[in-house]
Amino acid sequence: MEGLPASVADRLQALTFSERAVAYLQIDDDLTLIGAGGHLAAYGLEGLRLGEPAVAQAGFLEGLLPLIETPYVVPSVELAAGRAADLHFDRDGDSIWLVLLDVTAERNAARRVQQKAYDMTLLQEKEALLNRKLEAANAALLATQRELEASREALLEAHAKVQAQAAELASWNKTLEERVAAQLGEIDRMARLKRFLAPSLAELIVSSGDERILESHRRDISVLFCDLRGFTSFAESAEPEEVMELLHDYHRVLVPLIQSFEGTLDRFVGDGLMVFFNDPLPCPNPAERAVRLAVGMRDAMAALAAAWRRRGHQIGFGIGIAQGFATLGQIGFEGRFDYSAIGTVINTAARLCEAAKDGQILVTSRIATAIGDIADLGDIGLLTIRGLSRPLPISNVVSLKVEQRRQVG
Amino acid sequence: MTLTLQRKICVLGGFSVGKTSLVRRYVESIFSDAYLTTVGVKIDKKTVELRDRIVHLILWDVAGEDDISSLRMSYLRGAAGYLLVADGTRPSTLEVALSIRQRVEADFGPLPFSLLLNKHDLSEQWAIGDAEFEALRQKGWWVRSSSARTGENVEDAFTDLAARVAG
Repeated sequence: MEGLPASVADRLQALTFSERAVAYLQIDDDLTLIGAGGHLAAYGLEGLRLGEPAVAQAGFLEGLLPLIETPYVVPSVELAAGRAADLHFDRDGDSIWLVLLDVTAERNAARRVQQKAYDMTLLQEKEALLNRKLEAANAALLATQRELEASREALLEAHAKVQAQAAELASWNKTLEERVAAQLGEIDRMARLKRFLAPSLAELIVSSGDERILESHRRDISVLFCDLRGFTSFAESAEPEEVMELLHDYHRVLVPLIQSFEGTLDRFVGDGLMVFFNDPLPCPNPAERAVRLAVGMRDAMAALAAAWRRRGHQIGFGIGIAQGFATLGQIGFEGRFDYSAIGTVINTAARLCEAAKDGQILVTSRIATAIGDIADLGDIGLLTIRGLSRPLPISNVVSLKVEQRRQVG
Repeated sequence: MTLTLQRKICVLGGFSVGKTSLVRRYVESIFSDAYLTTVGVKIDKKTVELRDRIVHLILWDVAGEDDISSLRMSYLRGAAGYLLVADGTRPSTLEVALSIRQRVEADFGPLPFSLLLNKHDLSEQWAIGDAEFEALRQKGWWVRSSSARTGENVEDAFTDLAARVAG
């Protein structure tokens, strides 16, 4: 209070005492409370007993006494009822003085500032925590997104593979369709070819894929004509069913023979048949084949005729064979083609067939020359043939020579 | 005759770890969610009756500080022991508690203490792993999870500490 007028100093002291709720304790070296005063109740220190231990009555002194240093301040201590005080310890002679000064207002002001700071820090911590969680969630999302992208790529890859497989399947399908179409074509051609070729020859042509051999051309061929003797009168007198049955037996016997000798079956006309050799596929010794076939036919027909005779039908069988150049090829129009031969040699063979008696195989001299080694021939003499300017020397194939028959058989 | 003692116990730890709430739960059996920071120190008293003695605990609930260099060591003068508190949902507060322990030990020597990992009721936010917890126990410390909200381990912590400082 130095320098202040006594009245101002007194006034200030009075203000401090009331405004700062000044209270005090006086404690001796034995830690006995020897004095107390001021606003003790403001700090929950009412009812103190002088002459008794101070620490037992004011618990907050526990551990603080005796004083190690002086003066000593313990700031901002809340003792009771929310009131805060600074504790000022001072030694004065044999006594320790404790002065309590209210700092509640300052404490509350500091608390407001600190509260805001701590609230802000807590918010920042929460924000940081949330950010870490968000980052973790974001990382998980990114990972999931990458997995999804990988799955999508895998799906696209699988889709592309399926597309490629579909395209491949379509290609295979197309190839298959083409093959089916080709095979159907082959079947169709085969069916047409089988009408006049031995099945083995038809298959050969179809498998070669080359049908140019069916185009029109000239070739040296052996032509065989055969028909039945007495068929016309039989057909006139017999029932149509009987006629058909007879023709059926006739063809059933002869056609397999023709095929076995690989002859080209040109046509059926009633009981007449025309077969030629060396076309459309060339063959060695066409004349010999024709004669061997003819002998085979005659033998087979002999057995069949015997059976017909037993049923009362007198049926004979004659054959004519000639050799020469003819024009061959497909004749007809789309949907109805035949492979046929045209030329004098056809006419000659047909006339020889007409001239042949039952069991005779009449052949021209060219045929006779070609088969002289394998067959026994009987001379028939000259035969005048319509359309030819001079008669031809004709022979009858009596039989194949023994060893040759065995070969044929 | 039952011996009656009085011991000063400080409650120390980072800010907002629940020191005041633990003392309030222990002394008044009250819990409030409202957070009111402590400035300076708040002194409470609780009497513990042990098997052969009665201990008046003078509890100094010291303001939490972020920076332990700001901790007023004058508040610890004369303390017989202390309760360290960390917030189990904020691992950084465990670091603060361990630093405080080092500082106290440097200034006042090895005083009895207990360590509470508080706010265990917030299980979804709990951030202290079992291994970490076990590592603290392996140091020979009295360590518990606690909750001022549910009262978990609150009484035990103070009673055990009272027994040790009254020994």
